[in-house]
Amino acid sequence: MTPEPRPAPETSVRDVPSPPQLPTTASSATGSIFDLGYRGYEGPRLGRRHAIYALFVYSLRSAYGIGRSGRAKIVPIGLAILATLPAVISIAVRAFAAQAGAGAEVERIDPIRYDSYYGYVSTIVMLFVAAQAPELLGRDQRYHVLSLYFSRALLRTDYVVAKGAAFATAILILILIPQAVIFVGLVISNTDIVAALGDNVGSIAPVLAVAAAIALLLGSIGLAVSAFTPRRAYATATIMAIFIVPGVVSQIVLRSTTGGLTRYIVLAAPEAVIDGVNAFLFGVKPSSREVVRADLAGELYLVVVIAVVVVLLGALARRYQRIEA
Amino acid sequence: MALIALDRLTKQFPGVTALDALSLELEPGVIGLVGSNGAGKSTLLKILLGLLPPTSGSATVMGLDTAREGTRVRELVGYMPEHDALPPDNSATELVAHLAQMSGLPPAAARERTADVLRHVGLFEERYRAIGGYSTGMKQRVKLAQALVHDPRLLLLDEPTNGLDPSGRDEMLALVRRTGTEFGIAVIVASHLLGEIERVCDYLVAIEAGHLLSAAPLATFTGRTGVLAVEVEDGSDALAAALIARGIETRQDGRAVLIGLDGHGPADDAYDIVRDAIVDLGLPLVRLEHRRRSLEDLFRDRPEDEPAVRPS
Repeated sequence: MTPEPRPAPETSVRDVPSPPQLPTTASSATGSIFDLGYRGYEGPRLGRRHAIYALFVYSLRSAYGIGRSGRAKIVPIGLAILATLPAVISIAVRAFAAQAGAGAEVERIDPIRYDSYYGYVSTIVMLFVAAQAPELLGRDQRYHVLSLYFSRALLRTDYVVAKGAAFATAILILILIPQAVIFVGLVISNTDIVAALGDNVGSIAPVLAVAAAIALLLGSIGLAVSAFTPRRAYATATIMAIFIVPGVVSQIVLRSTTGGLTRYIVLAAPEAVIDGVNAFLFGVKPSSREVVRADLAGELYLVVVIAVVVVLLGALARRYQRIEA
Repeated sequence: MALIALDRLTKQFPGVTALDALSLELEPGVIGLVGSNGAGKSTLLKILLGLLPPTSGSATVMGLDTAREGTRVRELVGYMPEHDALPPDNSATELVAHLAQMSGLPPAAARERTADVLRHVGLFEERYRAIGGYSTGMKQRVKLAQALVHDPRLLLLDEPTNGLDPSGRDEMLALVRRTGTEFGIAVIVASHLLGEIERVCDYLVAIEAGHLLSAAPLATFTGRTGVLAVEVEDGSDALAAALIARGIETRQDGRAVLIGLDGHGPADDAYDIVRDAIVDLGLPLVRLEHRRRSLEDLFRDRPEDEPAVRPS
C-alpha cells in the first residue's frame, strides 16, 4: 500500500482560532462526516467533586428508572406506589371515620403508627433492593462502562461512594414518603392540629433512625451481592435468598429450641434484625415472634446493623479497587 | 516540555514483563503506537492514564507524573477503550452528556458539547435512539465522541477501527486524522494494523514484547528505497535476462523485476536502460515504480532494500 502524500502536520497551537469553515464533507463515498468546524471548550471544569455529584444524581435517577426506558420504571415506581398506598388508604379511612365520629374505634382496629408501618414497608424495600441493586452496579460491569468512568477524574472509591449514597437515598425515599404521608395524615386529621403536631414531632427522630438502618443494611447487602454478581438474574436471586432463607431457618430453630446460644441465630435474619432495631428505637414490643422469643438486648440489633454495613461496604470498596476496567 | 516523557518505564505483571525499560519523549502530533497483540500497547496507555502504576521508572503526560497526579492527567486526556464499553439501553446523547459531566463539565455545557461532538463524529438523528440498536461503526463513533466531549489536550485511542468494515475504517481513520490536525488535539493511536498507522500518523512508535523497537517520524520508515520495481505483462524472465545482459543486476519478486538503483551510476541511466530493454523486447509495461519502504519492514528480519540483488 502506498501512503497518500499528505500535507505537513499542522502545529498544535490551540490558541490560534481556526478560520470559519463552510460545511464540507470529508471522507468516502459510502458515508460522510459533516465538518462544521471544531470548537474547543473554554468553560469551567469542575473536576472530581462534580463528577462524584453527577454520578450520584445519575444513579439516583436510574434507581427509579428516570431517564431510562418506560420498562425500567415499572418495578421501582410500582414498588414506590405499593409502599405508599396502604398509608394513604389508612389515613383516608381514619379521616372519614373521624368525620363520622368513629375515630376512636378505627384507631383501635387499625392503628396507623410509624413503628407498625416498617414491618410492611421493609418487605417492599427488599423487593426494591433485589430488583434495583443489580441495575445500579451490574450494568456498568456487564457492559464494561467502568472503563469509561475510571478513565476520568473519578477514583474507584469515589465510584463506590457515589453509587452507595445514591442507592441509600433511593431506599430512604421509598421508606420516608409513606412515613411523611402518615405524619401529615395524623396531624391534619386531628381537630387540634398544633397539639397533634406536638404529639408527632417526637417520632421524627426514631422514624429517621430506623429508615437509615433499613436503607444501610438492605442496601449494602444488595450492592455487595451485585458487585460480585454482574449477571442481573443471579444477583436478584441471591439477594432475595439472603433476605428470606436465614429468616426461615431462624424461625425453625427458634420454634424447636428455647434459650441458649441458638437464639442468636435471629441476628442472621435481615428482617428480624430490622424488627429488633425498630422495636428498640421506638421502644415498642417487637412484632415478630422470633425476635420476642430470642429476647436479645435491643442494642445488639443496632450493633449488628453497623457491623454488617461496615464489613459489606469495605468488601465493596475492595472489590472496586481490584476490578478489571 | 514534551507531551509525553517515559523514563525507563517498566511494568511487570506476575510472570510477564509487559513493558521493559521504555524511555521516550514525544511531541504533540498524531502518533502511532504499533505492535502485535500483547506487545504492551494497552498497558502503556493505561499507565499514561494513571490507571496502572509502573513497576519502576516513570511516565509524565504534559509534565504531570501519571502515578502521582493521575486525576489531573485524566481531566486533560480522552480515552477510547479497545473493547465495547457502551450500555445498550442508553441513547448516545444521554450517555455522552452524562460522561461529559463525569469529566467535570457543568450540565448545560455538557449538553452543548455532546451535541457538538456527536455531530462531529457523524451521528445525527440516531443519537436519540438506544445504543443497543447501533452498528459497530456507530458504536465506535460514540466511543470516540465520549473521549472528545471534554475537549481533551490528548486523545488516547486503543484500536479505534476494531471490528469496522473497510468503509467504516476509512471514515474512522479520516476522523482520527482530522482530530489530530484540525482540532489541535494530540492523538496517540494504538493499533496492530500497520497500514492504518501509515495512513493517519506523523510519528511512529513501535514496540515489541515490551521493548522499544523504534520511535521516529513516519517519513523515516516509508521513504523511498533504492529499489525500482518493473512489472510487465508476461515475459518478466526475458526482461530480467535482457537487463542482466545490459549489466544491471536484477531480482524477481513475483511478476515484478526488482532493480537495485544504488551502485549503477546515475539513477536516470537505469531508467533509460529499463525503458530500452522493454521497447526492444516489445513487452507490455504494467508498472514502473520506485519502491517505498513499508512499515512491515520494521518487523522483518531483513529489510527489503538490502543489497540482495543477484543475477538470476
